[in-house]
Amino acid sequence: MDYELPTEFDIIIVGTGIVESILSAAASRIGKTVLHIDSQDYYGGFWASFNLEQIDKLCERNRNANIDLASDVQLNEGERLIKIGNNNFDLKNASQKWNIPEKLESKNIENVDGDKCDSTENEADNGVGVEEVWTQEKLLQDSRKFNIDIAPKLQFARGDFVELLISSNIARYSEYRSVSRVLTWLNGELEVVPCSRSDVFSNPKVSVIEKRMLMKLLSACMDSEENEFKASRSGTDFVVYKMFASLCYCNGFNVDEVVPWGQNWKNYSNIKTQNYENKTFHAYLKDKKLTDNVIHYVLYAIAMSTIDTPCSEGVENIKRFLNSLGRFGKTPFLYSMYGSGELSQAFCRLSAVFGGVYALNQNLGGFIFDAENKFKGLVCGKQVIRASNLVMGIEKSPEDFVKSVEVSYISRGIFITNGSVRDSEKEHLTLLFYPLKGGKQLCNVIELGTLTGTCPKGIYIVHMFTKQINTPKEDLEECVSKLFQSEKEDSDVKDARPQVLWSFYYSAPDTNTANLRKDAPENAFLCPGPDCDLDIDFSIKKAKEIFNSMYPDVEFLPRAPDPEEIIIGDDSDEQDREKDVEGKAEELKQEQVEETEIDKNAQGDVK
Amino acid sequence: MAKTYDYLFKLLLIGDSGVGKTCVLFRFSEDAFNTTFISTIGIDFKIRTIELDGKKIKLQIWDTAGQERFRTITTAYYRGAMGIMLVYDITNEKSFENIKNWIRNIEENASADVEKMLLGNKCELEEKRQVSKERGEQLAVEYGIKFFETSAKASIRVEEAFFTLAKDIKTKMDKKLVSFLFY
Repeated sequence: MDYELPTEFDIIIVGTGIVESILSAAASRIGKTVLHIDSQDYYGGFWASFNLEQIDKLCERNRNANIDLASDVQLNEGERLIKIGNNNFDLKNASQKWNIPEKLESKNIENVDGDKCDSTENEADNGVGVEEVWTQEKLLQDSRKFNIDIAPKLQFARGDFVELLISSNIARYSEYRSVSRVLTWLNGELEVVPCSRSDVFSNPKVSVIEKRMLMKLLSACMDSEENEFKASRSGTDFVVYKMFASLCYCNGFNVDEVVPWGQNWKNYSNIKTQNYENKTFHAYLKDKKLTDNVIHYVLYAIAMSTIDTPCSEGVENIKRFLNSLGRFGKTPFLYSMYGSGELSQAFCRLSAVFGGVYALNQNLGGFIFDAENKFKGLVCGKQVIRASNLVMGIEKSPEDFVKSVEVSYISRGIFITNGSVRDSEKEHLTLLFYPLKGGKQLCNVIELGTLTGTCPKGIYIVHMFTKQINTPKEDLEECVSKLFQSEKEDSDVKDARPQVLWSFYYSAPDTNTANLRKDAPENAFLCPGPDCDLDIDFSIKKAKEIFNSMYPDVEFLPRAPDPEEIIIGDDSDEQDREKDVEGKAEELKQEQVEETEIDKNAQGDVK
Repeated sequence: MAKTYDYLFKLLLIGDSGVGKTCVLFRFSEDAFNTTFISTIGIDFKIRTIELDGKKIKLQIWDTAGQERFRTITTAYYRGAMGIMLVYDITNEKSFENIKNWIRNIEENASADVEKMLLGNKCELEEKRQVSKERGEQLAVEYGIKFFETSAKASIRVEEAFFTLAKDIKTKMDKKLVSFLFY
């Protein structure tokens, strides 16, 4: 490296996971000098995305290969050096498997259409036509087109993360796509959970009159003023009520059946506190005498719950779901284009724009602590770099600070498939909540197609994750066996389900509930890794907490100014130009915020 | 809201620290020169709308935000980029040698059909020149890209370079559209 790092900072951040990156941006934004450093050569740590070749070496890459303590460094009196990193939070039980041949044995039937018909309009042909023959070689040739998340995340359209992106003006550093359908596993089949008008309309179980009534209800939900969705308790309750009503319609119920409990629903808070405090949401729905189908839709999809979920939590989840409905796209969820690994990078960019210094792939020789166990600095290569605060990803922490941190595990599975779990004319970005073990546990399933920028054309990536009980493979088996063709070759039986071309199982640590302050020194802060949630709002909460304990009473990520947009037009005079600038700024905001709707990839190709 | 442009191009500046990327950006976007940028703090991107063949083209030009210093440019920076200006300093041999590394970086992270251009900046400092114009030209030929020697300070060929890059992107796009419509 031909440049030396500065040796004094306000804060040193080690690790580039989400929480660390948010803190880097927040500290930089308020004028603190930030060194954001990582021993790994990629951004994201446990939150990163990899291409197909890289993910092969994932487990080695993610481990803190024993970073040795630096020798012969000049320290002040009383100071000692502590080893950076621990192996308490490594990924475990990783097993990878190809189900396709390495190469094509017979003649090369590979079509050379690679670049030529890159247009998305041709997509429809893909499903019909000749079935593509995939080989390892072929997929690995396209390795770079893969962005495989090791911690896939979706965002609620009105969740804390999206609000923060917009309020802090970080939205301009990343693009999002909305999840286009939410599925559920009902009576042995995948069914679309009606979230929008068109979902309802395409549901064959609903009569014409019901459709009209339903549309009225849903339009009211979708088009009503923003504040009706937000805050106001009664507004939300009303929406919940209407949503329930519409769901009943979808399943061919009479609205009259709905009204009595719908009235009760309006006062659900009373019900909840009085009668359902210690009961499950499922029990509540049962008491309302709903049919099994409606209960299924509500419980497993909209409330994202299990039969054991407490009533209050189920109600909260429904609120989150509905609050985020109707903002971008047809469902409440957004996915970050090119993989969840881009999320932390957006914050790193803001940090850099405000002067944060970035250094990856660094040889970190140890943390410096003084006799009072106060953080003083770190050793990087031969340099001693000092700072008054330390923030680090939990996996970068010295062993001593995390010895009592309890870890639970998440069972994760990633599958590359040759088709969607539920075929459709257009490519979908799909979310499915699959009830495992008779509804006692939910498995989150996210299916990504090429329009998300995470895999080549004709291929899908399916992510599954759930709380770990046994091994990842055992935990996910139930869901895998339902969604995909069985691996045993049985060529006589025509199976319409997608084939798994490649699979990868692993256990990822979850330190969501752990107390990370317990053994850490006063000016050293630990950031948790990814949790089992669908979204990252919990991580944002954590980042805010750490920020507030370091810098109390300072605003967390205030809005970053737009770059002045000076338009040097050919014949516009000064005044016009100013107006133009204002207009552009507004327009730019619109663009960034609403980008999700725009099919960026398709546009690019068509052009 | 009515669109005030026909095309929107995302362009990137890439190259070693201190070659004058930010100055090139300011020369083009504001027709100004300022030597006081300390390693690009606070510079995100700049916008200028130009006219080509009667079409309004909005150029959104991104700066590296200093993340080039330790080669920590995010993969996100490259997403959706349609054109990249590779900049070196003609008075700094090392910055020229590093162009190869930057091109490798681009190949790994940017879309395969991104339009590239090579700029040898600070060409007003003839007396301190370390990289001859021929070597610049040769490297550009090697990669099949266009080459300009520019001076952000003396305002030499900066305008021309950006217009050429924009024109090449537009041509490529129009071609794609034609092949899409007819084949």
